[in-house]
Amino acid sequence: MIAFWILALVMIASAVFTVSAQKPVYSVVGLLVNFVALAMLYLSLQAEFLAVMQIVVYSGAILILFVFVIALLSSGVRPFDIGPDKMAKATLPIAVILALATLGGIVATALRTPVAVKPIEGAPGDPDVFGSVANFGSTLFYQNLLPFEVTAFILMVAVIGVVLIAGDEGGPLGPRRPKRRSIEREPIVKRTLRQAQGDLPVGHGDRR
Amino acid sequence: MILELVWFLPLLGGVLLWAFGPQLRSMAGPVGSALVGVSFIATCSMWQPAASVGGYHVPLLDWLPGWSFGLQLDRLSLVWTLIITGVGFLIHVYSIGYMDGDRAFARFFAYLNFFVFAMLTLVLSDNFVGLLVGWGLVGLASYFLIGFWFHKPSAVAAARKAFVMNVVGDVGIMFAIFLIVAKVGATGYADAFGKVASFSGQELFLICLGLFIGCAAKSAQVPLHTWLPDAMEGPTPVSALIHAATMVTAGVYLIARCAPLWSASADARNLVGVIGALTALLGAILGCVQWDIKRILAYSTMSQIGYMIMGVGVGAFEGGVLHFLTHAFFKAQLFLTSGIIIHALHDEQDVRLMGGLRTRLPFAFVAMLVGVLAICGVPGFSGFFSKDAILYDTLLLGHPFLYAVGVVTAGITAYYMFRMLFVTFFGSYRGDVDPSELGIRHPELAGIAPAGHHAEEEEPHGHAPAWLMSGPVAVLIPFSILIGWLNFGGENSAWARFFNGFFPAPALNVATIPGLSETYSTLLVLLCVIVGFAIAYVRYALPPALADAVVRLRGETIRTPALLVNAYYFDAAYDYLLVRPARALGEWFDRVIDPLVIDGAVREVPISAQWLGHLFRSFQTGLVRAYALTIVIGVVCFVAYYAFAFAGGAR
Amino acid sequence: MMVAPENYVALSAVLFFVGVVGVIVRRNPLIMLMSIELLFNAANLALVTYARAWANNAGHIFAFLVITVAAAEAAIGLAIVAVTFRRMPHVDVDDVAALKG
Repeated sequence: MIAFWILALVMIASAVFTVSAQKPVYSVVGLLVNFVALAMLYLSLQAEFLAVMQIVVYSGAILILFVFVIALLSSGVRPFDIGPDKMAKATLPIAVILALATLGGIVATALRTPVAVKPIEGAPGDPDVFGSVANFGSTLFYQNLLPFEVTAFILMVAVIGVVLIAGDEGGPLGPRRPKRRSIEREPIVKRTLRQAQGDLPVGHGDRR
Repeated sequence: MILELVWFLPLLGGVLLWAFGPQLRSMAGPVGSALVGVSFIATCSMWQPAASVGGYHVPLLDWLPGWSFGLQLDRLSLVWTLIITGVGFLIHVYSIGYMDGDRAFARFFAYLNFFVFAMLTLVLSDNFVGLLVGWGLVGLASYFLIGFWFHKPSAVAAARKAFVMNVVGDVGIMFAIFLIVAKVGATGYADAFGKVASFSGQELFLICLGLFIGCAAKSAQVPLHTWLPDAMEGPTPVSALIHAATMVTAGVYLIARCAPLWSASADARNLVGVIGALTALLGAILGCVQWDIKRILAYSTMSQIGYMIMGVGVGAFEGGVLHFLTHAFFKAQLFLTSGIIIHALHDEQDVRLMGGLRTRLPFAFVAMLVGVLAICGVPGFSGFFSKDAILYDTLLLGHPFLYAVGVVTAGITAYYMFRMLFVTFFGSYRGDVDPSELGIRHPELAGIAPAGHHAEEEEPHGHAPAWLMSGPVAVLIPFSILIGWLNFGGENSAWARFFNGFFPAPALNVATIPGLSETYSTLLVLLCVIVGFAIAYVRYALPPALADAVVRLRGETIRTPALLVNAYYFDAAYDYLLVRPARALGEWFDRVIDPLVIDGAVREVPISAQWLGHLFRSFQTGLVRAYALTIVIGVVCFVAYYAFAFAGGAR
Repeated sequence: MMVAPENYVALSAVLFFVGVVGVIVRRNPLIMLMSIELLFNAANLALVTYARAWANNAGHIFAFLVITVAAAEAAIGLAIVAVTFRRMPHVDVDDVAALKG
């Protein structure tokens, strides 16, 4: 009970810190705190597997990726928000009001529709009992195999996409390599001329 | 089978001549004439079944429920069919001579054959829809033939005028058909006339009114008559066939065909009688001031059709139909004779520039004299019998006023017909007189059509044998004299026996029969005719009048009242009441609606597309955060929806 | 268990709010991406909460899928950021506005 409120306060504080930090590295630290607290909340909700996933995937993989990119851009020490703000002045209040409306709407709806919590019967960790890793696994692989495979496919596409975008200057955003001179593109008159002069063996480049 | 042949042969001719005219060349005329001639012979062979009581009927199309089309040859349509094919054949033969050398020789005969087909459709149809189809087709043929020399602007204008006014009439007939269908549910004559008793007086009058609007337009009755004089722009054989003998009498046919309707509606009888008498009188008065020989005949046609319409309108169906029959002969003869004169004088139509033709064209003089005597109703000639029959029947049927108008008109008719005869054939030839000495200042404005087909004609004139033109006239002369004798003998006359029991018996009110016996009535009419003749004789044929004819004609030309020169200002009135408002409306549309609404709408489409593009472009800021804000707006919408949808605390 | 689920959902909403404000207000692409991660986590928290409340682990499956997709999104987003801002004088998303209409 008390743990929830403490964790909630930690989460809100760390989230605000993440959003308002001057340097991205600080943001990463705030986010790390946020994620760990969230994993604890998951535990309190009997989502054991998800709690572990939260630590491993988010804290372990994604945040490290952020740190890498920050290091790559070597902008971690530079202050941010340098250029002129191009959004209209009125946007910020509108954004805050809209976000507050979202907040108010969700909270009001949640509070107005209380949900009776179902008790969980059986020993924790039992494969048939809610919340156990075994239960999660069987649900995922027996009932939701297709979505699971689709996410696998999405991840693969994402990997290919990242390689294509950022990999070794070859991507659409990288500098173009100088094009190699191609014999096939040569005007046929010139080529015939060269063939006649003996520069080029006859038949070369006639076929692709 | 034979009846279908009668109906179909002219159409075949029309299509053949239209398609193969250039190949047929000078054979086009004989081919077209022969087909109409065969049609005439076939009609004659149908006499026996057609003249029987029920008539002869051939169902052709009956695939549409509630409407079937068939050919019906009874006594009434037999009369018309004989005239259309018979007189039509003669005029075809005449045209071979008259149109000889015209560049569009074959086209002319294609149109003529097509007209004969259309007219046969009109009179042979056994229902109102078929009649309306024929009614429209003759209008189309008339349009083609009036505008035959389409290089003349005046001919084109006249053709257009005739067509438009005829369409006004078509609309009237169409409304009458709508009323009949709404009331009876069928369009056949027999169906409609079988249920006359179930019509209320008002419905009957409206039907008759609609039909009569069609008659007035087609038969040149006041106030829809103004196209007929202009229609003389067409070649003279056309004037003879269409605008004298057959098409313009379609109104008479329609009223005679709808005799059961008219017999049942006293209002319709009064209306049509008055209009007919008015047309007869106004046409005759206008005939007195015309100088163009074809226009004189046109106004006399209008006047004579006024007689017929008055006759059939008031209920004297037999007299009206008889006058159609006699008129077809003598008016065709008059027109064809005028064509001979025009031809001989190299397309001169102004009678002031004629004169003294009695010796130059003796045959034309005889033919014209017979025609004039016939139209004036001189005893022994055909017009005498038919006109008297109409007039006395009008009196008997209780219309003394119309009778009086008719009698006076007979006198005027005698005056202007003899005036034409004297000015044309008596005295000395004036063709070499300077037109201005005769008061002809603006030939175009005076209504004198300049010669139309000079350019079309080959030099020299008349390598077609002369008998081609005089022959048909010679055939018509005995008919003009004798055909009226059909009605000789009162109740036992051939005509009365032929139509015995065909038309509904007039409801004679014995009490209103005036104390004027037929003999005295005839004498009264004769007196008027003699007075008219005498005035014409004194003014145009006495030696002193002939001696200074040029001066007198000039004086008469100058002193003609403007009211008559402008034909009672009907054209001007139409111009002010209809043409100018329509044109003003069109110009207003051109000035306001077209640029602002029509073009404006077209212009507004790209303008608004551009405006929308600008609007949406402003959303595309390129700022990721702005797009994120847009997404948040969507989120708020969702949240708001659920917040309100589950406000009651569902689940 | 526990605190009422409404509290968890309210916490999730607060996190979402903070994330939204972060995405719109900050102009550093890295912090924007981190704010997006915050949004994901807020949603996950709500999913897991209701899964527990109804004792139905479909919510867990959802959260799991969201985590994987978030990983993919972070990878691609960071790749784009890295490539884009290697040539920019400073790291500001407002400078990347080539799609402006």
